[in-house]
Amino acid sequence: MDNNIKILEDYQIEYLRDESRRVGSANTISFPKTQSEVVNIVLSLVECQSLITIQGARTGITAGAVPEGGHIMNLIKMNKITGLRYDEVKNDFYMMLQPGVLLTDVKKILESKNFDTKNWSQSSIEALEVLKNSGKYFFSPDPTETTASIGGMVACNASGACSFKYGATRKYIEALKVVLVDGNILELKRGKTKANGRNFSVKLNFGKILNGNIPSYNMPNVKNASGYYAKEDMEIIDLFIGSEGTLGIITEIEIKLLSKPAFIYGMTSFFRSEEAALNFVRAVRGDSGEEITKPAALEYFNHNALKLLKSQKLTNPSFNKLPDIHSHYHTAIYTEYHGESKDSTMQMLMDATVFMTSFGGDEGDTWVATNDRDMERLHFFRHATPEAVNLIIDGRRVANPSITKLGTDMAVPDEYLENVINLYNSSVSEEKLESVMFGHIGNNHIHVNIIPKNIEEYHKGKELYNSLAKEVIAMGGTVSAEHGIGKMKTVLLKEMFGDAGIMEMIGLKKLFDPELRLGKGNIFNYS
Amino acid sequence: MNIIVCVKQVPGSNDVKMDKVTNTIIREGIEAIINPFDVYAVEEALKIKDNFGGKITAISMGIPKVVDTLKEVLDLGVNSGVLLSDRAFAGADSLATAYTLSKGINKIGKYDLIICGKQATDGDTAQVGPSLAEKLGIPHTTNVSNIEEVGADFIICNRSTDEGYEVIKIFLPAVITVVKDINVPRLPSIRTLKSAKNAEIFIWNLRDINADKNYTGLKGSPTQVVKTFIPQYDTGTEIFEGTNEEKCNKLALRLLDMKTLFSI
Repeated sequence: MDNNIKILEDYQIEYLRDESRRVGSANTISFPKTQSEVVNIVLSLVECQSLITIQGARTGITAGAVPEGGHIMNLIKMNKITGLRYDEVKNDFYMMLQPGVLLTDVKKILESKNFDTKNWSQSSIEALEVLKNSGKYFFSPDPTETTASIGGMVACNASGACSFKYGATRKYIEALKVVLVDGNILELKRGKTKANGRNFSVKLNFGKILNGNIPSYNMPNVKNASGYYAKEDMEIIDLFIGSEGTLGIITEIEIKLLSKPAFIYGMTSFFRSEEAALNFVRAVRGDSGEEITKPAALEYFNHNALKLLKSQKLTNPSFNKLPDIHSHYHTAIYTEYHGESKDSTMQMLMDATVFMTSFGGDEGDTWVATNDRDMERLHFFRHATPEAVNLIIDGRRVANPSITKLGTDMAVPDEYLENVINLYNSSVSEEKLESVMFGHIGNNHIHVNIIPKNIEEYHKGKELYNSLAKEVIAMGGTVSAEHGIGKMKTVLLKEMFGDAGIMEMIGLKKLFDPELRLGKGNIFNYS
Repeated sequence: MNIIVCVKQVPGSNDVKMDKVTNTIIREGIEAIINPFDVYAVEEALKIKDNFGGKITAISMGIPKVVDTLKEVLDLGVNSGVLLSDRAFAGADSLATAYTLSKGINKIGKYDLIICGKQATDGDTAQVGPSLAEKLGIPHTTNVSNIEEVGADFIICNRSTDEGYEVIKIFLPAVITVVKDINVPRLPSIRTLKSAKNAEIFIWNLRDINADKNYTGLKGSPTQVVKTFIPQYDTGTEIFEGTNEEKCNKLALRLLDMKTLFSI
């Protein structure tokens, strides 16, 4: 056995869970620091055919990192930024890093540009000099949980509020190095390895060639994190992004950086009806085809979400700094604009204001942020809703330990915005379930959080969740837009792609992991 | 009611550099924010204006870029801003600052109430508010945690103390300094942003405010920072062995030795 493989001790119980709160089981654990350590561990486990569950920072909420026996490979100690690359032709910067680097570390280092360049190549050091003279850069995927690892973000194709403008993590992954379960290494660079139709061929480090088929299903035309990416003539690197630890162990990542917008302004607007709020969303989104600058983020808070926040403010000191919400308002929408000058960014806000007042909003009742301090408060408001739900659930779990929050993560195409909101509203009201709704309305991606009072409501909520998924799929939507399938939505994925689609995914997995040892339980179940 | 709010621009982080000669903070070129206590002062002024009408003027002493801080408070609904800016004001301690502000306030003219944040996060002296009141010859109270009542020529407020709070009635014009969490500061709205476009910021120098340069800036500062440093905390653990009585004896002797305990 490799020296790095240790028996999992009692005090290491935290490694059996992630933020989904599900608890798993495992026999051994390792914390490799380098790619060659990963290879040695993997080779060591071939003989006993041990299951391997890959972990990053364990911030996922679908139990992707929760082991179902076997070995845990935790990559958190692979936390070095290994270099920078500057493409003179495209005038783009890229950062190379290990999978255990946290998003918050990437944010901080790009602010300070104070890199540890020990062991860096000369060209990386030169690229850093260019970066230091090039203004501010940032990594645009912005999930709320900044303690997520970059490896984890790649594994589930993470998104954040500003993915409305910039796209999900997928778009910013330029290269990957993946260790396969047999110890072979696959290096993938965007633009270098593509499928031919739905067939593909990849060459591993020692020359072995793998020939495979891309699943034949069509992905829905929405923000999507459900199952393997599959498209005609696709880039093979995209197979691994969003593969949730089922195809290989990502050991190096090259991310693309963007020039940071000089000005970031935000505005929360209030509307007297949900209809008015949705009309506002369509207007600022440019659905009518009008030439407008789209927001970087477009977020929604339904009536129950606002009510919940108001009541939390009265009882919970940590919600004190929430501004007061007038009671005649029903729904709130947050818009964020990124621009290169004060005037142009302010103009974007003012243009949105014209739409807002045309749908009954009031200029005096908006909350506007044009500096970091105020922006932090608007972001706090955005995160306060799920936080408040968690607090209520924690309270209810005291009497009923088996209840948990039920949150949806579904998205539909633009034309179904009103349909899906009506569907959500009527369903929870019919079942008389307590709920709040909030989320990334720009992508028609609303989180419906059902807050069960007892075990009966919890089960009702789960059934409702499944029936909502069927309707969303029928609208051409997805069952998971950003959280991934993990172990918790495998049934819903099956609804989406059918048995045939799941079998194709398993077939693809078998190309890279013939004994189905990696990430067992993630994306699909199989016996 | 005419209210004046004193605001200060302070460094955004603790990572500040000191001028080696004057031992004062180098403010140019660093990220700056509005003093957090002053945000509460501004909000308290806005609340009074919401309820009783009137005008709010924000005043600050600082380098030219402090105009940004004044613009920030105009965006919240403050009516106008005054920046006192002159090389002669640089390096001022709390007394010289109070003097300069008092001259600026005298030029502003009529006012009923002056609100300051309790202290600034860079100097932490909490002296400017009370010194300002003395310079202006008006009463003051500090550590205000709530304004209970606003009358035509008085206010009744709660003043935080170590034991609880006092209820103070103070006749106007007066200076009050406010603590954090006296209120929940508002965010700007589109309406206040639009109004702020027409709001004026006046920039006055030494001559404009008729100040004597012997009482301003470094020259007018009777106190001077000799040294600024982060205290070194000694860490170390010494464990005493033995019976309880033995351990107590050893500890007592040790403390006497360290001159932490004095025998009577």
